[in-house]
Amino acid sequence: MTSYSSRREFLKRTGITAASLPFLMNLSSLGWASTTTPRKRLVVIFTPNGVVPKTFWPDEAGRLDCFKKSLEPLEPFRDQTLTLHGVHDKIRGDGDSHMRGIACLLTGIELFPGDVQGGSHTPAGWAKGISLDQWLKNQLQSDPKTQTRFGSLEFGVMVPERADTWTRLSYAGPNQPVSPIDNPYQMFDKLYGQVKDRQTVASVLDSLSDDFAKIQQHLSQEDRHLLEQHAEMVRQLEQEIRQEQEFAAAAPVDAVDVGHAVPELTEGVMRDNDNMPQLSKMQIDLMVNAFAADFNRIATLQYTNSVGGAKMKWIGIEQGHHELSHEPDSNLEAMEKLTQINRWFCEQVAYLAQRLSETPEPGASGSMLDHTTIVWTNELGAGNSHTLNNIPFVMVGGGLGFQMGRSMKFEGVPHNRLLLSLAEGMGYPVPSFGNAEYCGDGPLTGMTG
Amino acid sequence: MRDSGSSKRYNDFIPTRVAVVALAVGFCPFFPPASRPNFKMIDPSNTSRWLPILVLALAPSVSVLSDAVTRADEPAPADPAVEIAAADEARLARGREIYTNSCAACHGERGQGVPGSYEPALVGDRSIAELSGVISETMPEGNPEACVGEDAEAVSRYIFEAFYSEAAQSRLVAPRAALARLTANQYRQSVADLFAHFMGRGQWKSERGLNANYFDHPGWKNDKKVLTRVDPNIDVQYGQASPGEGMEPAKFAVYWSGSLYAPESGSYRITARGQGSFIVKFIDTEQKFFDNHVSSGEMAEHTATVDLVGGRLYPLSVDLIKRERKTGNVDISMTLAWKTPKGVEEPIPTRYLIPSGAPTAFAPQTPMPPDDRSAGYVRGSTISREWDDATTRGSLEFADAAVSKLWPKYLKDAKRKSENADQSEVLRQFLGELVSQAMRRPLDDTLRQRFVDAPLASAPNEEEAIRRVVLLTLKSPRFLYPALDVDASPSIRRASRLALTLWDSLPDAALQSAAGKGELENEEAVRQRARAMLQDPRARAKILAGLHEWLDLARWEALDKNTDRYPGFDAALVGDLRTSLDLFLEEVVWSETSDFRQFLQADWAFTSDRIAAFYGDAWKPAGEATDGRFARTGSDPALRAGVITHPFLMSALAYGDTSSPIFRGVFLLRHILGRIIRVPNEAFTPLNPDLHPGLTTRERVALQTGSANCQGCHQRINGMGFALEGFDAVGRVRTEEQSKPIDASGVYVDRGGAEVRFESAADLTRYLATSDDVVHAFVNRMFLHMVKQPVGAFGENRMEQLKTRFRESGYHIRELLVEMAVIAAEGPVPVPAA
Repeated sequence: MTSYSSRREFLKRTGITAASLPFLMNLSSLGWASTTTPRKRLVVIFTPNGVVPKTFWPDEAGRLDCFKKSLEPLEPFRDQTLTLHGVHDKIRGDGDSHMRGIACLLTGIELFPGDVQGGSHTPAGWAKGISLDQWLKNQLQSDPKTQTRFGSLEFGVMVPERADTWTRLSYAGPNQPVSPIDNPYQMFDKLYGQVKDRQTVASVLDSLSDDFAKIQQHLSQEDRHLLEQHAEMVRQLEQEIRQEQEFAAAAPVDAVDVGHAVPELTEGVMRDNDNMPQLSKMQIDLMVNAFAADFNRIATLQYTNSVGGAKMKWIGIEQGHHELSHEPDSNLEAMEKLTQINRWFCEQVAYLAQRLSETPEPGASGSMLDHTTIVWTNELGAGNSHTLNNIPFVMVGGGLGFQMGRSMKFEGVPHNRLLLSLAEGMGYPVPSFGNAEYCGDGPLTGMTG
Repeated sequence: MRDSGSSKRYNDFIPTRVAVVALAVGFCPFFPPASRPNFKMIDPSNTSRWLPILVLALAPSVSVLSDAVTRADEPAPADPAVEIAAADEARLARGREIYTNSCAACHGERGQGVPGSYEPALVGDRSIAELSGVISETMPEGNPEACVGEDAEAVSRYIFEAFYSEAAQSRLVAPRAALARLTANQYRQSVADLFAHFMGRGQWKSERGLNANYFDHPGWKNDKKVLTRVDPNIDVQYGQASPGEGMEPAKFAVYWSGSLYAPESGSYRITARGQGSFIVKFIDTEQKFFDNHVSSGEMAEHTATVDLVGGRLYPLSVDLIKRERKTGNVDISMTLAWKTPKGVEEPIPTRYLIPSGAPTAFAPQTPMPPDDRSAGYVRGSTISREWDDATTRGSLEFADAAVSKLWPKYLKDAKRKSENADQSEVLRQFLGELVSQAMRRPLDDTLRQRFVDAPLASAPNEEEAIRRVVLLTLKSPRFLYPALDVDASPSIRRASRLALTLWDSLPDAALQSAAGKGELENEEAVRQRARAMLQDPRARAKILAGLHEWLDLARWEALDKNTDRYPGFDAALVGDLRTSLDLFLEEVVWSETSDFRQFLQADWAFTSDRIAAFYGDAWKPAGEATDGRFARTGSDPALRAGVITHPFLMSALAYGDTSSPIFRGVFLLRHILGRIIRVPNEAFTPLNPDLHPGLTTRERVALQTGSANCQGCHQRINGMGFALEGFDAVGRVRTEEQSKPIDASGVYVDRGGAEVRFESAADLTRYLATSDDVVHAFVNRMFLHMVKQPVGAFGENRMEQLKTRFRESGYHIRELLVEMAVIAAEGPVPVPAA
């Protein structure tokens, strides 16, 4: 973990001088030419181990008049909230429920068989397909009108430092899990650092590409493939830096004003269970700042991991989350604690909604929340049954054309159809996503009212 | 197996569909990674690599099968074995005919599976007898009577030889070494050594503790020195008193110095807590890590989290000073504590402190994405943008250190040697040395031009020149992919492979120079060199990490138990259990006999007072504690059998309330015996003990897994796990559960199909210690860990050769590792370029 002991040290390390700060603040999208199409953003927030259905789901379909305990923190945004009950993750095959729960959530497709073994003895590998967030990012990035510096950012809070099926939500393609960044200082560095460094990087990229070309001659076809993939990454980096430089040359400092400042990060917050509330706030602040600067249109925010064992001592719960989630419904004390845990997660969703609602949408009317849809979800319907039915899907915000302020009840529709709805809402309708078998009926009906 | 039908023999069960082990081809641990370029799954139905070989394998005469083993262009050898094989030919032909007519429709011509029918490939490690049993009972689906007895055996034999067995698989797709990049740990170890090449490194010595100088004076003053000695660690409470005779309570100074050994790679939290004026220096001998210089006497606490690389020494010093005050005497105390990546906070134990100092070290802090470990070991088989970005940031981090630390030192040394040294020429030398070291080879003119002279010529100043050269070098595939050194001399390549295998790092100057002088030309010289290299702390850390992988310990961070049922089972106890296990593993490896069988049979363990308080008298320390807390227990063969019954593993392989024969069985089969277990049909939640009061764990598990659907695998899993039922959810010995006596009988069917029964954990571990499956699994796993390539890629007989040497050496672990290094140093069998 990189931790800078002071902000000054950070600025020194990353080569940001006072003079470059105003420029950085306004380092807006690469798509600076276009401000006409309203922006659409999607945030997926993942929290683990299922929910307590009784304290989570509204009883009836229809207008959302009040929330149950788990969702109460969203009260200020009730009119902008949509709950979707009865959406099932029907993907089967290899992997235990926790694995499939997280890895099929945004990919809508089975896992490869593999050697990553679960507690209930169902080894599996990575997901067989791209996840919706990454797919949408690719769509957005392929069009100069919607292209942004990063396309998507993958945030995490206390994601274990190991790559396996339980710790990865996003996939760039089959077998290509994307690691979330759960260290706010590292994310800050990615967003705002590296100016001087990037000049040095730019100066060696030509020679580096030559080196790749020379060395590839000695290799077998299979080995060459890996190196070609690597060389392609070097080319991508080269292209990004060139675009940044062109943009810097083309855009006078005051040409783009998004009213956006580099966020102040609290110093020295360790990556530690007990610091989760602070880490969460820092990550959300960074996310809102990145959106304001139009660095990206897609974001994911992953709390711990599927099976995550956070110990929420700050709300008086000493036991690990996953351990608690196994307790039967009859254990009322555990149910209350689990409700509190989900309520805490909900507070984080509400904090993001609040920050977005307080930030005016750059170049358009309304707040950023009006142009951003947050989808809060989970790998399981309920922790003790490990069911993949009734996966929690709670949406907050706007911009995707869904009619909000409602509780919707479905009769066990595959969640692939929800993925189709989200794709359509973002402006990229597709006939199927993930396993086509579950997409036959198209996007969910009734979402737009 | 009483509860699940104990009268049945191993092949009497009735599995659903196919109980044939069907781990899909792409992830079979015995399948070479080479067949998964870019970590993409092999789809057996469209794998072009398969086709030519398989067509050959399935040519009309089955005897062609054995020809496929040898080169197709060589004449068949005139061997009497061929005659004998001919006798079996008729049966194989019969098997092939049955398979083609009755099985291939669902399983595919080559057992590769058929989409929509039975998809998983028929690949596994069951014996022909077991396969025959399964086929007799269940196949073809819906009409199992159609293929029984000799027919079932014929078809079993056929699929075993044609594609099912490991041997058949490695014949079909020869294992090969795939190009791999440095793993995150290899990357960190390498850049740390690149730094140490210029800065020097700490010496690994057997003495432990910190050097301490005591002064009767509030500062270092030679004539006031009262005492010099080695202290076990820093954890002192002087209060109002003086630290010892000859020192005034009102004013004194203590200077501790030495180095700290990081036993594993990861994030360490360092905490200095105390009253009084203190300064801690760590990693960097010139910079203050914690500065509590200005103290008014209150309790101060400083904490920092820092990534350290396992197997490395970091300089450490602490100055504690008490000055005379006008306003009364203050209490003095000082504790230097850490929390290791998986441990709990504790004063840094003596065994990780070395009294001799070390020069400034480089501890890279750039986060790197975790490496792929989907094949059961960490390897550099995949790349991603995150990884590429991390290597960029890592290079820049090193560049900063090169600019601020290495270059000034290099320049100063050069000027000391020759006052008139031309600074630009010194810089060129410095950069040349850096590039050569990073690329693990002497530089020729072309490389020097490209990596040193060209960036040097274009950079605006010294600093930028260093940054560019470092970036270009550490981002170069020549550094990141050690196996790309194809044009280097054989000795140079051997040196590089030895360093990578044993240290996860670059060859040091001594090794490079030995290679340059041709001292690694013959196998015995390489062996001697490997033996010496194994003594290095980097090897020590790598071996411990390998044993952790063997035992799959990475999975266990916290072991949460029901604290009502197991009061006292807390994080501190888990920390002690982890330490107890690690001490045991290290003791076995580094003892003179280095006897692998101790892992499975040792009737002693390491213990602490805390462990004894929880586990009882049998865990009382029998000897003196090695560093204040941990000591060996006495012998108790009924209670202990090496790692298998160690309370850390027993607790990890259990639920919060109850033991888990399934966790334990799967662990024994997969990790200790190296067997393949099929993916279950579905994920199950274990039966809730509260809903089945009165049933023992064994009975509950038998109840849940008793159906024919489950028994295909659970016959094997439960048969192993039940043998450990004498240990409860926290690994305490028990003789009864739910007022019923514990039944710890179990059964195992080995690779060859032989059935073994045991009545107790002691029976089980006695068997394990002599089992070839266990040795095979250990050798295989350690090889994958050390070399990060399949052993088959280094020659057909390498596995047998390793096992034979291992056996002949009395299962000497260190000698086994040396032999692995010798094999790795020779390199994989070349594969012709496509």
